[in-house]
Amino acid sequence: MAFAAMSTAFIALFLFGLALIIAREINLVIEAVTGNVQVAVYLSDPVRPDTVTRLQTELQQLPAVASVQYENKDEACARAKKLFESNPAITENVPCEVYPASFRVTLADTAQYGQITARLSCQPDPTTHDITCSEPGVLKVLDFRDILDRLSAITRVLRNGVLFIAVVMLVSATVLVANTLRMGMFARRKEIGIMRLVGATNWRIRVPFLIEGLVEALVGAALAIITLFLVKVFVVDQLRGRIVWLPLIRNGDVLAITPWILIAAAGVAIVAGTIGIRRFLDV
Amino acid sequence: MISLQNVTKTYKNGVTALEAVSIEIEKGEFVFVVGPSGSGKSTTLRLLLREEEPSMGEVFVAGKNVVRLSSLGGIPKLRRNIGCVFQDFKLLQDKTVFENVSFALEVIGKPKHVIDARVPEILDYVGLGDKLNNYPDELSGGEQQRVSIARACVNRPLVLLADEPTGNLDPNTSVDIMRLLDKVNKIGTTVVMATHDQAIVDAMRKRVIELDHGKVVRDQSRGVYS
Repeated sequence: MAFAAMSTAFIALFLFGLALIIAREINLVIEAVTGNVQVAVYLSDPVRPDTVTRLQTELQQLPAVASVQYENKDEACARAKKLFESNPAITENVPCEVYPASFRVTLADTAQYGQITARLSCQPDPTTHDITCSEPGVLKVLDFRDILDRLSAITRVLRNGVLFIAVVMLVSATVLVANTLRMGMFARRKEIGIMRLVGATNWRIRVPFLIEGLVEALVGAALAIITLFLVKVFVVDQLRGRIVWLPLIRNGDVLAITPWILIAAAGVAIVAGTIGIRRFLDV
Repeated sequence: MISLQNVTKTYKNGVTALEAVSIEIEKGEFVFVVGPSGSGKSTTLRLLLREEEPSMGEVFVAGKNVVRLSSLGGIPKLRRNIGCVFQDFKLLQDKTVFENVSFALEVIGKPKHVIDARVPEILDYVGLGDKLNNYPDELSGGEQQRVSIARACVNRPLVLLADEPTGNLDPNTSVDIMRLLDKVNKIGTTVVMATHDQAIVDAMRKRVIELDHGKVVRDQSRGVYS
């Protein structure tokens, strides 16, 4: 029974951790693909400093825009090198002048994206699907909203799906731990009866059982954390470098979610303890 | 020491176990509570232990109104002042004689040096000084009841409640147990004993309270069974 409780706690906490890791991984992908901006305005060569200042001020004044970050050719170059750092062959023969300078725009209101294209007089090109602009100095506008929307939809579905299973498993783990405690108390009912009779306090009677529940949950948590590290080493690390543009979670990411797993384990133990010993609360 | 004032106890299933019972027991008394099965003897003991609450009336033990005690601290404290002995001994079979008695002190948080001093002392007092390391199933019924009395007395209670303590014992052993309870009473412990054992009640000539259908029908000092 204790074994069943422990292994259910382990599976539940593992899935819970997996959900958190999936969310982190997809955030990494979003970061890599879009640089966390929603719209990029690429500037045509040659880039003139007065055009940059003027356009930045104008974009900044649009109500839909939250922030505008200027990225020059060198910065764009450095970002590309970092993105493909696991496969430098892609970037090493590309001179930095080739990368376009751009404004990286974060929107205050994504629905008002049209304000930007209207201001820069941009039109979707029917053949290439690029959004080209007639504003002098502007090459084209790249709209990441669609990618972001899709990525976050995938994130939501994956994370919520795994979280849902994790919650169901956490509930089962709680019930099983509670049941183990109850059976333990039943097996010791004679001892408990004597303890009450000679004047042991309620806490004195309950604490050993609460500790037992906490140990079961924490063993499950420890196994879950170990397994997540094993998944990182034997699954994630095997993929590293195979897909050049795909950033992957590192040990630090797994480490960062361990406190949440421990908190969830403590939650299981507390709830299980509360419902498991309730029948024995009355003196 | 013990005072039941106009106590009525009706259980949830509608059975009235005690009806307007008033009993006063002084410190150091030895009292038999007698009566047929279902007359309310056990209910009386359970009320004193605060295992049950009276439906009406008040119960005082050692100056405390037991109904008002909190389950967090008050009730455990009350029970540390009351020793309990039962017909079926209620010993833990997987613990030795010493461990059965020391268990009662451990679970109320007594330090080890107190336990090591008091447990052999009380076991010697009940005449089991040479059986500290035996298990209950290696003892006779009378010896097991002595262990249970040692456990009840090791924390030096003010009151000793005994519910049919001789119910499982032969007449000779019962007499030994009664001598022991008398000895415990002589050192100042108030003893309340519920029993069916006519021979013992008649031989001891102590105060007898007779219950019938939840009412006190007789309260006689130096009385006999009926």
